Amino acid sequence: MASEPASAPLQYTVAGGFLDEVFGHEGEPEDHAADLVAAVELMGPDRLAAAGRRRDAIFMQQGITFELTGEDGPKDRPFPLDLVPRIIPASEWTSIKRGLAQRIRALNAFVDDVYHAREIVREGIVPWRLVVSRSHFARAVHGIRPPGGVYTHVAGCDLVRDSDGTWKVLEDNVRTPSGISYVLENRVAMTRLVPELFAHYRVRPVDHYPQLLLAALRAVAPSADAEATVVVWTPGPFNSAYFEHAFLARQMGVELVEASDLVVRDDVLYMRTTDGLERVHAVYRRLDDGFVDPLEFRPDSMLGVPGLVRAYRAGTVAVANAFGTGVADDKAIYHYVPEMIRFYLNEEPILSNVKTYLLSDPEQLEHVVGRLAELVVKPTGESGGKGVFIGPTTPEDELDGLAEVIQAHPERWIAQEVVNLSTVPTAAIDGRLSPRHVDLRPFAVFGEDIKIVPGGLTRVALIEGSMIVNSSRGGGSKDTWVLEDGSDSDRAEPESMLTAPPTLPDLRYGSQWVGQQQQQQQELDEPGRC
Amino acid sequence: MLARIAHELFWLGRNLARAEHTARMLDGVFQASLQGRPDDPAGVTLDWSSLLAIMAAAPGDGLPRRDEVLRALTLDPDNPASVVSCISRAREGARTVRDVISAEMWEAVNTTNLELGQVDLGGRLRTGPSSVYVYVKERCALFWGLTSRTMLRDEASAFLAAGGRIESGDMVLRMLRVALPRDADQLAGIAEQGQALALLQAVGGFQAYRRAVPAPPNALPVARFLLFERGYPDSVAASVDAVHNALIRADRNPRNSEPVLRLQRLSADLEFRGRTEAAGQDVHATCEAVQEELVRVDRDIADRYFAGAPGTMVAA
Repeated sequence: MASEPASAPLQYTVAGGFLDEVFGHEGEPEDHAADLVAAVELMGPDRLAAAGRRRDAIFMQQGITFELTGEDGPKDRPFPLDLVPRIIPASEWTSIKRGLAQRIRALNAFVDDVYHAREIVREGIVPWRLVVSRSHFARAVHGIRPPGGVYTHVAGCDLVRDSDGTWKVLEDNVRTPSGISYVLENRVAMTRLVPELFAHYRVRPVDHYPQLLLAALRAVAPSADAEATVVVWTPGPFNSAYFEHAFLARQMGVELVEASDLVVRDDVLYMRTTDGLERVHAVYRRLDDGFVDPLEFRPDSMLGVPGLVRAYRAGTVAVANAFGTGVADDKAIYHYVPEMIRFYLNEEPILSNVKTYLLSDPEQLEHVVGRLAELVVKPTGESGGKGVFIGPTTPEDELDGLAEVIQAHPERWIAQEVVNLSTVPTAAIDGRLSPRHVDLRPFAVFGEDIKIVPGGLTRVALIEGSMIVNSSRGGGSKDTWVLEDGSDSDRAEPESMLTAPPTLPDLRYGSQWVGQQQQQQQELDEPGRC
Repeated sequence: MLARIAHELFWLGRNLARAEHTARMLDGVFQASLQGRPDDPAGVTLDWSSLLAIMAAAPGDGLPRRDEVLRALTLDPDNPASVVSCISRAREGARTVRDVISAEMWEAVNTTNLELGQVDLGGRLRTGPSSVYVYVKERCALFWGLTSRTMLRDEASAFLAAGGRIESGDMVLRMLRVALPRDADQLAGIAEQGQALALLQAVGGFQAYRRAVPAPPNALPVARFLLFERGYPDSVAASVDAVHNALIRADRNPRNSEPVLRLQRLSADLEFRGRTEAAGQDVHATCEAVQEELVRVDRDIADRYFAGAPGTMVAA
């Protein structure tokens, strides 16, 4: 809103060569962001910085922290939430949502196919050698089809926006994507800390995610009764995402269990309660395949439940996400996802991939080794930004070493073109704004249907120019606003058909008792003082 | 003990409970108002005009604006229903009974009142109303905590507790009556589908609900939870029981006491309705009946213990 008097005009310079989601390429605020810019200007850097300090105090009090290992050992830091939200207009969100649902459907179909008919392999689209060599390929679950044929109950795909504004998928996460708790906590914190920024916007809520998840888990649980017993399974309080595990269990009102609470008897999963063993119908597990069952996966796992896979195979318990889904979010498989969409769904992909080179192909390998300084190289089968080399910012001698490593085991690596991640205005510690690069991880829940929470976790690289958004490496997050369709005035105000309860009972001061007495008491006071 | 002192204690409890409930409702509605509609159909109406209706404040012309309602129900000293009015009345009451309550309790109320008078409430409402409500909630919790730690468990504490709990029950009933649609067909329509998260957030009972009830927070299960779930301290049934227990403690001859007998019957009635009323039954009628009965309890209490002192409820 240009008419609003600005207390201090923003001094904001768009970084050249990148799309700024608020100020475009030219430095003029986009229509949907104009009110936000005005509100931030009105607040001014000082108040924004003050709100930032309150945020840190509140997050420490509430224990919304993550561990950062510094020189003097691990230390709890408040989760870095940037107070300037990121806005996604309704129309853009609609297409993202459709694109994600399509992609997740295809990934789910792929997992089913890999462990059953292998049609996509027989058609010659994905090589079988590549599939079986993936570290998350799970022979143990061959031929098992979970209830409803759903494997990827919870999915979080990482999206980025290129300099031309198109949304692209950077990575798929269909094992145990984390971050949803921050989405919900961020929103609560924003409404408390900077409610004035919400003026003029109708932001779609996100707090129904735990309900969606619970409904999806109940929908796939093999239980005759309507109310299946659902649990969240955490590796334990030392896990870095324990906050999220506890958060989800609390929000869903279900038990948070560890391996020692679970036991399998006669192919049925139980938990130990004060009332004896209680049957468990569905497990939302937050640990990797390798650890879940020492009888079928890693035999040295201390965190697993012996016999769980057997119970799963017998169909007495639903596990989300299903075992073996990791084969679908492997970075080498990523390359084939657009083909999967065409093959399984007979549709054209709505969201595109980033151009990727498979290094197991000698031609592509040669091409990549020649251009290492311009590409991003990632190990397959890793997540959380581990082992990623970004060509333009990596020293030359490291690149030489990398070339040797890749050539030794090309099948363990992929290379991608660099994406010029879009920027969003972000507040520094003094409350001044400057552009920082962001990505987006929306969360989808697949039960009877695919439901996606509006927005998702926007991660932001807090260091100038950096494109690494992982919180373990100096990344922060932003509240992500998906706007409602239509303007504010379109909203139909609910009709007032209020029924008034009786008037509030009240002490009638000034009536019979108090008023006159007070006066006389005060009169009586006077002689005493003389 | 003196009827006058018992009466003051009863109203001290009522005023503090009312301040806390109002703060919780304002906070809940404020948070929800910043965001748009959820995907699921809305089941209950809890917006700014509902708040005015719950607090029986006179609605202005047209739809009330957020800032007006926030101000009117938080810091307007001329509005007897505002949070600061409740706290200031509680402070006056506490001053009268300073010799009966513990010094720490008195200080807790007095400091709260002073603090609310000193800070720039208008400014804090503009930049972050939640901080005001968090403060009021914490101070009320401090008062009740100190009560249970430092006050002799005698008649006096019983009247204090009775006042606090009857007010809690009354506030929850008011909220339900305003938020749930009156029309039975409409209620049946939203009973299993419509969202009622707002009601839980307005009393701070979301997590308790989650742990107690497996069903999603839809209108009917939420209303039943807030009415009948004795395990939840702010449910109507729990409040009725607490008032009942407090009066048994205060009354020399509870078996001949009208309010005690009436509460006993109400408590049994709630138990009966909670166990027998099937889905789709008229929750509205239940709320109305229970609230009218509470009005009679309040009148009986005044007649029996306060020598008919004013401050009784007026039925609609």
